Amino acid sequence: MSSVEKNSTPSQVQNDANSVADNTTHFGFQTIDKEEKISKVAGVFHSVAKQYDVMNDLMSFGIHRLWKRFTIDASGVRPGNKVLDLAGGTGDLTAKFSQLVGKEGQVILADINSSMLNVGRDKLRDRGLVQNIEYVQANAEYLPFEENTFDIVTIAFGLRNVTDKDKALRSIFSVLKPGGRLLVLEFSKPEHEVLNKAYDFYSFNILPKMGELVAKDGESYQYLAESIRMHPNQETLKEMMENAGFEQTSYKNLTGGIVALHKGYKF
Amino acid sequence: MFSSNRAVKLSEQLMVPQFICSVVELIINRALSLSNKPITLSAIENKTFTLELAELNFPLSITVSNNVLLVNSTNSTSDCTLISSIATLRQLKAQQQLTELIKQEQLDIQGDIKVAQQFARIAEELDIDWPTEVARHIGDVPTHKIGQLSQKAKKSISQLFETLEADVGEFLIHEKRLAVTNSEIKRFNQGVEQTSDQLTRIESRLAALENRLNDSQ
Repeated sequence: MSSVEKNSTPSQVQNDANSVADNTTHFGFQTIDKEEKISKVAGVFHSVAKQYDVMNDLMSFGIHRLWKRFTIDASGVRPGNKVLDLAGGTGDLTAKFSQLVGKEGQVILADINSSMLNVGRDKLRDRGLVQNIEYVQANAEYLPFEENTFDIVTIAFGLRNVTDKDKALRSIFSVLKPGGRLLVLEFSKPEHEVLNKAYDFYSFNILPKMGELVAKDGESYQYLAESIRMHPNQETLKEMMENAGFEQTSYKNLTGGIVALHKGYKF
Repeated sequence: MFSSNRAVKLSEQLMVPQFICSVVELIINRALSLSNKPITLSAIENKTFTLELAELNFPLSITVSNNVLLVNSTNSTSDCTLISSIATLRQLKAQQQLTELIKQEQLDIQGDIKVAQQFARIAEELDIDWPTEVARHIGDVPTHKIGQLSQKAKKSISQLFETLEADVGEFLIHEKRLAVTNSEIKRFNQGVEQTSDQLTRIESRLAALENRLNDSQ
């Protein structure tokens, strides 16, 4: 498959972000064919799957656990609910949801990447969480579930890796029950310029070195930093959710906007 | 109002409620796992007890799931909510206080009170053998030494308190009668001020007389 790969500066690519031709998309700061992104992202996650949890703790100084707790608290999950943890990776959200929905409820841990799904399944089984969890390898753009199935859909640190985000949001909207809600936890744009600069320095200088040292894969963490910069900012993502049909959309900035939690309802 | 809203927003951005909940959850479940007497949570499986404390701007909800206690900062599915303050909760140790505290509007219970009682029973049933637990980490001899030292410290502190109590009691019974009261000090000060004024007046009269005597000579 021919690639239209080109390297650009962060600002150039961000300016071009909304004007990418229909058959191309971004992979970090590169512009590539849409079909190629899936295999490239898969490559990244096959490579980091085993060290994913360790790296998350290291990179975020453990704060990712609080971001995820915040998401659970904001979800309003109740016993008996049916939850889809999309791009659920190693299952941090699934574990908590599984305990909160109880025996009558169900949690589906879905991820496009088999390596991540395997790591998640092993981890949850080791913790004795088996009774109400199912595992599905699925692409967020083409969710293999019936319409109006879930009370809650979450996607934590996954949407930025999806090739066609609008299509994925429409697909999620379709599988949610009326009254159901989507929660998108994702890296975003820091609110203050000083924090933004410090965060840039950390992401492009320290993070890839950390990846090289611990996961023996600096490139994947370079992609992580680039993909975060290419992800839509808070207001743009809110607008995208509204375009997909979500109502009462809102977002909350966490840790100065490094991460934002978007929420929207289907009525 | 504005500063209070700002504080809530900052606390939310820094995820203070989530941090506190995760620490509380860790401590409670650790304590449960250390208890000598096995604690059965099956009676309150899927039940949620919420504490709304005046000192915190968010609720603390405890839910039982698969013999684990989960703590979060929402109260959307609570079976029983207790609204109070830390100071009032301390008084709750005496059970007869419950009705009195509700009458005084220092405490409010909403929902199934049985759930609150079942959660309170968990705390009462906790039986942790601390020396054994400490010995597991630092060894038997240091634990024994620490135990001896803490016993001595406890004894010394209780002796200190006993002496203090006795001294205070003696003071209240005997010394207080002899001790100068506030009003007496006030009266004494007024007397000193009056004497001082009188002295000033006498001084000025003497000076005037002296001047007159000098003039006549």
